Amino acid sequence: KEETELPLLPTAFDVTIKSDHRGTCRGTHVVQACVGYCESSAFPSKYSVLLASSFKHNVTSVSQCCTISKMQKIKVRLHCGAIHREEIEIFTAKSCQCDMCRLSRY
Amino acid sequence: LEASTINLHTFIGCAVREFTFLARKPGCKGMRITTDACWGRCETWEKPVLDPPYVNAHHRVCTYNETKLVTVKLPNCAADVDPSYTYPMAIRCDCGVCATATTECETV
Repeated sequence: KEETELPLLPTAFDVTIKSDHRGTCRGTHVVQACVGYCESSAFPSKYSVLLASSFKHNVTSVSQCCTISKMQKIKVRLHCGAIHREEIEIFTAKSCQCDMCRLSRY
Repeated sequence: LEASTINLHTFIGCAVREFTFLARKPGCKGMRITTDACWGRCETWEKPVLDPPYVNAHHRVCTYNETKLVTVKLPNCAADVDPSYTYPMAIRCDCGVCATATTECETV
């Protein structure tokens, strides 16, 4: 369990979007990501865990990770040469929280 | 981790910390053991990306980097039960991937 929650604030970064490999259309926009410090711990596994894993999992890790809890769509205007313009929608983080880690990709 | 000198509410990083657990197995009496384990707060992030699944995650957790196996003898075991109980003790802890081959990776 969390002893406290350190602030998890959306953090801004720039994305540049190109419509194809040659970059015929392109645009830049500020997008929010979630960055934060959530509690995690690792300790010797209980006997039931040892048994269930044929004594392979002798350590148990209990963790939370900083995740995007709310996403929002924003419109980005792309410039294609001097006259032509296009608009696409991309996601940005609206709020963040300590939640489940993405086990498969951690 | 010296709790007296470090504020656990604001600690950032991954450190060795004392942990007490009940070592038990069928046929023996349990034994309370205090050992070195890992605890902390690692930097984790998620950012939106243009292509599916639309989120890129960097989820590292505080886990064992270097361990030593310690074997103790549990008390009051039945005659046909091996009293030895082996558990890992943390020598070094680090923010890293949860290795599913050696670790029960639980996320809450």
